[in-house]
Amino acid sequence: MLIITRRPGEKIVLGEDITVTVMEVSGQTVRLGIDAPKSLPIYREEIWAAVKQENAAAAAARDLPPLPDRGGRAA
Amino acid sequence: MTREETPLPFTFDSTRFGQIEIADGSVIDFPHGLIGFESRRFALIAREVDADFVWLHSLDDAALAIPVCDPRRFFSSFALEIPAEELERLALPQLTETAIYVTVRASDQLADFTANLRAPIVIAAGVGHQVINQAADASLRAPLFGELAAKAAQTTERAA
Repeated sequence: MLIITRRPGEKIVLGEDITVTVMEVSGQTVRLGIDAPKSLPIYREEIWAAVKQENAAAAAARDLPPLPDRGGRAA
Repeated sequence: MTREETPLPFTFDSTRFGQIEIADGSVIDFPHGLIGFESRRFALIAREVDADFVWLHSLDDAALAIPVCDPRRFFSSFALEIPAEELERLALPQLTETAIYVTVRASDQLADFTANLRAPIVIAAGVGHQVINQAADASLRAPLFGELAAKAAQTTERAA
């Protein structure tokens, strides 16, 4: 892994059209500003991984059972 | 990204459902796909009229179909919050003008079904995106029948 030290206000450029700016460092928290083409989705890694897992689990469904009556009528 | 020109309607061989007809106007482009899948073109397949669950079926992968539902049918307090910059990035209209679905994680028991309220799928004008919901209580695995079970318990209580 490439490791680069940056200070608040400084940037990293990835390729031609992606810029990551260190906006603010406060204790354990770093705020980043990202300029990237709209065609590039950007996610927080842990959310991306969790959603990927949920999507895969959803796609593994067998046939769905009929749903219980939910019309609110008295049984 | 070039849009593939396919004459509509056309039939599609689905691993799960066999031959299905894809009607004119029902192809949905997902320019970023769904997280974890390569497919970029999907269609919503309903197996009955007014079905609670519909299938988001890939048109690029015959074996990929994901059960989805409209979260507002199951979660009365469902809220979708997306930062304005993200809406702009995705070129999405106001959320009131989009269809919203959430993926359903099925199980052997209905009581164990969950829906992913954290990453809803919004669809507008034939384009879909899986977005990250910023609403504080948006769960990755919200029990799908939680409210129904609560309602049923209430009914039983009243009847007793």
